[in-house]
Amino acid sequence: MRGASLEIREGEIFGLLGPNGAGKTTLLECIVGLRVPDDGEITVAGLDARRRTRDVQQRLGVMLQSTALQDKITPREALQLFATFYRSAADPDQLLERFSLTDKANAMFETLSGGQRQRLALAIAFVNRPDVLLLDEPTAGLDAQSRRELREEIARFKKDGHTVLLTTHDVDEAERLCARVAIMDGGVIIATGDPRALTADSASMQSVSLTTKPPLDAALLVDIPGTLDVTSDGNTITFRTPDPRGTLRELTTRLEQSGTELLELHVQRATLEDVFLRLTGAENDR
Amino acid sequence: MIRAAVRQSVVSMRLYFRNPLAMSYGYLFPTIFLAAYWGLYRFDRVPLVRHMGELLTVTVLGGACFGLPTTLVSEREKGVWRRYRLLPVPVAALVGSTVAARYLLVVTAGLLQLALAMVIGMPAPQHPFDLWLAFTVVAFAFLGCGLVIAMMADTVPAVQALGQTIFLPMLIIGGIAVPIATLPDWAQHASAFFPGRYAVEALQACVTGAGIASAPFSVSALLVVGVAGCIAGAMMFRWDEHERWAARADRGWVIVALAAWAGVGIAAEFRGAVATPRAASNAPLASPTRQTDIVIESAAGSIQTLRATNAEVAAGARPTATPNTAAPSPANANAVSTFTGTHPSSWQAVSQADIDRDLAFDRLPPDGGIITPIAAAIQQPDPGTAEFVASVAAALPAWAPGSVADPVQRARNLLYVAAVPDLLQMDIERYVPAVIYARLQEQTARSDLIKILYWIALHPFDGDDRAVDEMASLGLPPASATNLDDVRARAAVYGVKLLGRLIGRIDTDTK
Repeated sequence: MRGASLEIREGEIFGLLGPNGAGKTTLLECIVGLRVPDDGEITVAGLDARRRTRDVQQRLGVMLQSTALQDKITPREALQLFATFYRSAADPDQLLERFSLTDKANAMFETLSGGQRQRLALAIAFVNRPDVLLLDEPTAGLDAQSRRELREEIARFKKDGHTVLLTTHDVDEAERLCARVAIMDGGVIIATGDPRALTADSASMQSVSLTTKPPLDAALLVDIPGTLDVTSDGNTITFRTPDPRGTLRELTTRLEQSGTELLELHVQRATLEDVFLRLTGAENDR
Repeated sequence: MIRAAVRQSVVSMRLYFRNPLAMSYGYLFPTIFLAAYWGLYRFDRVPLVRHMGELLTVTVLGGACFGLPTTLVSEREKGVWRRYRLLPVPVAALVGSTVAARYLLVVTAGLLQLALAMVIGMPAPQHPFDLWLAFTVVAFAFLGCGLVIAMMADTVPAVQALGQTIFLPMLIIGGIAVPIATLPDWAQHASAFFPGRYAVEALQACVTGAGIASAPFSVSALLVVGVAGCIAGAMMFRWDEHERWAARADRGWVIVALAAWAGVGIAAEFRGAVATPRAASNAPLASPTRQTDIVIESAAGSIQTLRATNAEVAAGARPTATPNTAAPSPANANAVSTFTGTHPSSWQAVSQADIDRDLAFDRLPPDGGIITPIAAAIQQPDPGTAEFVASVAAALPAWAPGSVADPVQRARNLLYVAAVPDLLQMDIERYVPAVIYARLQEQTARSDLIKILYWIALHPFDGDDRAVDEMASLGLPPASATNLDDVRARAAVYGVKLLGRLIGRIDTDTK
C-alpha cells in the first residue's frame, strides 16, 4: 500500500472497492491493528488507533473475511465468550434473535451453513455495541437471500447513526449501500467520492441501445460524432457516447430520412462498474 | 479481564469434552498405559505404586506436549486466534487462560489415573499435597514445551511429528517407559538431558518417597525447563499460521528452550547422580521371575525350599498365621517344607551344623540387584533418601511390633520393615536393612539372633504378619496391596543376608 488517505464521516457507509489483491483487506487490517503500517496516522472515533489500540478495539465491531470459530462452539457460547471481553456488551440472546440465529443457538459451529456462519460473525461484530463497524467482504459466498438480509442489517446500523467501512469487490453492493466509495488498485486509492458523482464523471460514457425495423446498418452510425464501440445484434444496435442528446438528435434525423421505424430505445448512464473498470484498467484487459 | 480469562478457560474445557479425539488422547491414553503397566507387573508382584511417577508423567506429557499445541494450532489454522487478536485484551490473558484450562484437564486426567490405580489395589500416595505440587511443576515444564511446539508447527500433523520426536525418545531412553536402572550406561546419561526423567523422579518421590523436598534437583530442573519453554513460547507467539519465523529471533528462542534441557543435563552430569546406584554397582540384576533357592536340599533328603518368588507359594494354601512361632505348624510344613528328624524342633535348638547344612549363602540374590538390595558401605544415599532412612531409624524404637516379647516374632516384624520398601521399590530399600540389622543386634544377643534368623529362613510363613499393615508410624505405606507372601519371603531372604553378615559368611565388600 502506498499513500492511502481516507476520511470516513460519522454515520456514513463507506465502501472500499477494488479487484482482488488491490489492498482493501490490508488497509482494513491496518485500521483494526492486525497489521502495523510503516508510516502514517490512523484515527478512529477521534482516537489514535496506533497508540490507543485497546480503546479503539473497544469501539470497533469487526467482521473479518474468513472468520472461523472452534468447530464445537455454539453461537450462544461464542457470543457469551466475546461479550466478556468488552466493557459494554449487548445481550447475546438479543443478538441471536436479531441475526435469526435463535434456532441455531445451541448448534455447533461446524454444523452451521455459510450464511449462518456469516450472520454469527456479524453478530459477534455487534457484541460490543460498536460505534464503527468494519466489514471485510461481508456478503462474499452468500446466497441471494442471505446477502439481502445482511445488507438490510448493515443499512439498519447506519440508520442508527453508526459508521460502517466495508470492503467489497461487488460494485453493485457498493452502489446500493455506500454513501461514498474509494476505489483501490495496486495498493493505491485511485478515486474517492459519491458513487453518483463518480459515474457522472465526464470521462464516463452513456450506453445507448436501439431496436429498429428493418435492422439498421451499423455503417450509418459510424460517422455520427462521438459514437464509440458500435455493435449490432439482429435488430438491436448498441453504442456508447459522451453526448447522448446530440447523438440521438442526429440519429433520429437519419432514421426519418431512411424510413426506418424505431421500436425501442434505451439510454443508460455509466455505472460504477464502468468507472471501476475504467479506473482499474480491467476494461483494457478484456 | 479475569472474568474473560475464566470464561475462556471454561469454554476451552467444554470444547475439549465435546471432542472425542481430544478426550481419548487426554483420558484413554493414560488409562491404557495404566492397564499396560498393571498387566505387565501384576504377575511379578511389583506394585503399581512404584510406577505412578512414570504413569503420571505420560499423562502430563500427552496433555501438555500434544494436547495443548494441537488445540492451539488447530484454532490458529481456522483463524480463531486471528479473530481473538482483535479483542481488547492482552495476549497473555488469552494464552494464559488456554494453558490454565489445559492444566486443569491434565490434573483431572492424573486424578483419574490415580483413582483407577487405587481401585485396582494401589495404596494411596505417601504425600498427596506434595504430589499435587510436583504434578503442577511437571505440568508447567511440559506446558512450556507444548507452547514452543505450538509456535514452531504450522499444522496439526506438524504438531504430531514434532511431539513424537520429543515423546518417543523420552519414553524409551528418558526414563519413562523403561526404568533408568535397566538402561545401558549411555542411555542413562542421555536421559539426564530429558525432562521426563526429572518428572518421574519428582512425582515418584511424592508417591513412595520422602516427598517433593527429597527431589530438589528434579524440581529445579523442571522449573528451568518450564521457564525457558514459557518464555520462548511467549516470545515466539504468533496469531496467524503464516507468521512462522517472522522474526529472526524466533529460531534463537527455540535454541533457548533447548539450551535449558542441555543445561539441566550438564548440571546433572556435574552433580554426578546420573547413573543410578543399581547400574553403578555393576551387580548382576536378579530376575524377579527366577526362583531363588537359598535353603538347600538337606542330606536327609527333605526338601526345604524358600520361594522368593511366589508363583508356587501362591498356588498352594497359605498357612494361617499363628502368633506362636516356637514350633512349625503342620500346615506350614506341608505348604513349603518337609521336616525330618535331623532338623531342629525349635529355634533354641538350632546349631551351627544346621546353618551349614541348610543355608546356601552363595545363592543369595546380589545386594546390588532388584530383589532384597543392600547398600554397600561406600554407597551414600541422596539427602532426601538419607533423611527418610533416618526418620525410619528414629521411629523404630517406638514401633510396637518391633518390641513384642516373642523374640522370633519381633525379628520377623523388623525384617518386614526391610521387606516392604524392597517390594515397593522405594528409594530407601537398600539402606533400611542396615538400620534393621543394627536394631536386631541391639535387641537380641548374637547367639540367639543367629538361631532366630535361621529359624525365620526355614519358616518364613510362620508367625504373624499384621505388622505389615502397621508401618504408618515409620512413614511407610501400608503394603496390603502387595502379596503378604511376598513380604514374608523377602523378609526371610533379608534374614539370611543379615545372618551371613553376623557369622562372617558374607563378605560385605564384594556382595
